[in-house]
Amino acid sequence: MRSVGVLLLAALMPLSAQQFKFNLENLEKKASDTVDVSLSGSTLQFAAKFLDGKDPEEAKVKKLMSGIVGIYVKSFQFKAEGTWSQADLEGIRKQLHEPEWSRIVGVKSSEDRENTEVFVRTENKKIAGVAVISAEAKQLTVVNIVGDVDLESLADLSGHFGLPKLEAVPPKKSKR
Amino acid sequence: MDWLEKELAKALERKEPSPDFAAKLTARIESEAPRRSRLFHFPRWMPAAAAFVMLATSGSLAWRRHQGMVAKEQVMLAMRITAGKLNHVQAHVREAQQ
Repeated sequence: MRSVGVLLLAALMPLSAQQFKFNLENLEKKASDTVDVSLSGSTLQFAAKFLDGKDPEEAKVKKLMSGIVGIYVKSFQFKAEGTWSQADLEGIRKQLHEPEWSRIVGVKSSEDRENTEVFVRTENKKIAGVAVISAEAKQLTVVNIVGDVDLESLADLSGHFGLPKLEAVPPKKSKR
Repeated sequence: MDWLEKELAKALERKEPSPDFAAKLTARIESEAPRRSRLFHFPRWMPAAAAFVMLATSGSLAWRRHQGMVAKEQVMLAMRITAGKLNHVQAHVREAQQ
């Protein structure tokens, strides 16, 4: 009976646990500012009770959180450029490989010197997690949202938090 | 002195109690005293315990609320960061489409 309980716990663990290791502890000392959010299932459910459904921002997040079982964010702000290296991110990228993970979009902006990648984890043809790696000259951010993430709702958040709402691009008119 | 005054004087005239009145009264007080104390006298520690329970309960509720608000703020911060990054990606993708 005890072993059944342990097996059941082991089977349930990956649902709420972080899906890949950040391994960025070496950057914490170098960063001028660090954001470290690590919220698992029970804490998320508890936090959801305090989200105000009447507030448009919080209502969106509350709706989004229904399928989420874990949120893990690390964001470092550096005073000088070149504090972090690509090797710091390689350890993360290596974990985000197929068939579990798919890189759905990557944006490299030489103008902003920003490189952002979005990965999606699928299990049984359902989204089971999202990873975002964003690297700027003086900022490094890694996100792992665990669970059935509604990407549309997640993208819809861009209209909130003071961010400009991105409208759909109208189809190009064919030239005659 | 008319009849009314006579009646009043009669009604209000001093009457001595029976010789065993004091003994009866004392006996009755003694017989009722333990019953009263059982009904209305709490142990001395009871109010202190009640105050402690009330303080502990309200403190625990306040602490739980504080923890909930901190967790909520963390969720909102994580979502702000994620939305900001996705917003940036979307902007570039749409720019490329145009």
